[in-house]
Amino acid sequence: MNRINPLHIGILLIVILLFSFVSLGNSKAQLKEAENEYKLTEQIATKVTGLKAVYGNKKEIKKSLKRVLNLSSLRASKIEQKMKKSGVTLSSQSMDKKALNSLMGKLLNGSYNITMLKIKKLSPEKVSFDMEIKW
Amino acid sequence: MKFNQKKRVIFLDSNSPKITVKEKVNIILSPSLYWVKRLTLPVKHARDAKKLLPSIFEDTVSDGNYNYSIYKDGDEFIAFAYDDKLILDTIEEKGISASNMANVYFAQSELEFEGAIKINETQSLTTKDGILILLPCCWVQESGHLSLENLTLSKHSISLAQFGHIVDSKSLYKIGAVLLALIILINIELFITSQKVDELVSLKEELFEKEKLQATMFQNKATLSKYEKIHSSQSKLRDAIASVLSLRLKSDEKLKEITLKNKNFSARFSPLSEITIKQLTKKLNENKIKFKSEKKGDSWYLEIVL
Repeated sequence: MNRINPLHIGILLIVILLFSFVSLGNSKAQLKEAENEYKLTEQIATKVTGLKAVYGNKKEIKKSLKRVLNLSSLRASKIEQKMKKSGVTLSSQSMDKKALNSLMGKLLNGSYNITMLKIKKLSPEKVSFDMEIKW
Repeated sequence: MKFNQKKRVIFLDSNSPKITVKEKVNIILSPSLYWVKRLTLPVKHARDAKKLLPSIFEDTVSDGNYNYSIYKDGDEFIAFAYDDKLILDTIEEKGISASNMANVYFAQSELEFEGAIKINETQSLTTKDGILILLPCCWVQESGHLSLENLTLSKHSISLAQFGHIVDSKSLYKIGAVLLALIILINIELFITSQKVDELVSLKEELFEKEKLQATMFQNKATLSKYEKIHSSQSKLRDAIASVLSLRLKSDEKLKEITLKNKNFSARFSPLSEITIKQLTKKLNENKIKFKSEKKGDSWYLEIVL
């Protein structure tokens, strides 16, 4: 039986070693890419979840609006509420300064996506009010 | 299955003439190129006997780097010691390149004849006590010339270590062991790295499920961009309203209307004094809000693009 040339085995080992080195390099690059991708996904997930909870939570927005509009200081202003698929509109033909201050304070301090607003002075004490909030 | 018979067979001796070889040839080594012993050993197999050969030949061979070969012949063993470099140098010297070398045999295992045969002008081959030996021509009466045609070769061929004289076998094994250890270490590292990649991929999938993200990163980035735009415009709106409402207007100055439509915020005032306009401008600049202002008739307008 012919003996295997040790040199051939050596060359084979070197080839396997080089191949392993290249594979390891590729694998390390893949790991780095996967790490970066995971970090990015985590960041995006945190931001999307947070922002969605603030501006996109229809149920929560409706609930908090209901709380605001039920305030005794606003009842006299007869604020009309119109629900739409994409949001809600609030309007009052005549509202006094105090009620406006109270309503704007609550709405601007809350996280509502206000897309339309119109406040017009009718007299020194009265204003008309229109607002659209989207979710 | 070997077809050794089909290849040309060459008898190689240091005194052989130089030849031209273009095809692969089988080589039979002259007794001048190896040491041989017929032995009776207390072992059954040739592989066990081979381990003993370095010490058996220790006192016989001259200094050099030897390889050993052995095969069983009846109850006895035929053992060989040979110097790879010496044989390879002789092969090259006679005009045979290493690539044309098929198999290498010992004359001991391949040639069998009665009396003596002439191998060249000065030397003859003969057998004494079962060992093939080389003698000067004049010592024996030859019965004929060496004929290699129709010769059936045995399976006792040897492999010549072409680089054995550069690195000895022990060093080769050490280098091999180091290479093997490196390969194993790298592959362990490779396995660990692959596991980590797989782990990150499953963690990412879990994150998608837990946070109820959309199927692709493209969709999620688009959603994020949408909400960031909303957040940015809402923050600007609140800053703009805060700047306008915090103005200290004089008794004759009034804020008549505030409007937000299509991301355009505007405020309409009654004519404002220079001091009030400066105060408002300062506030807007402090909050880094870009604005446009103009006076139309008896009103002063402020416009901010969110």
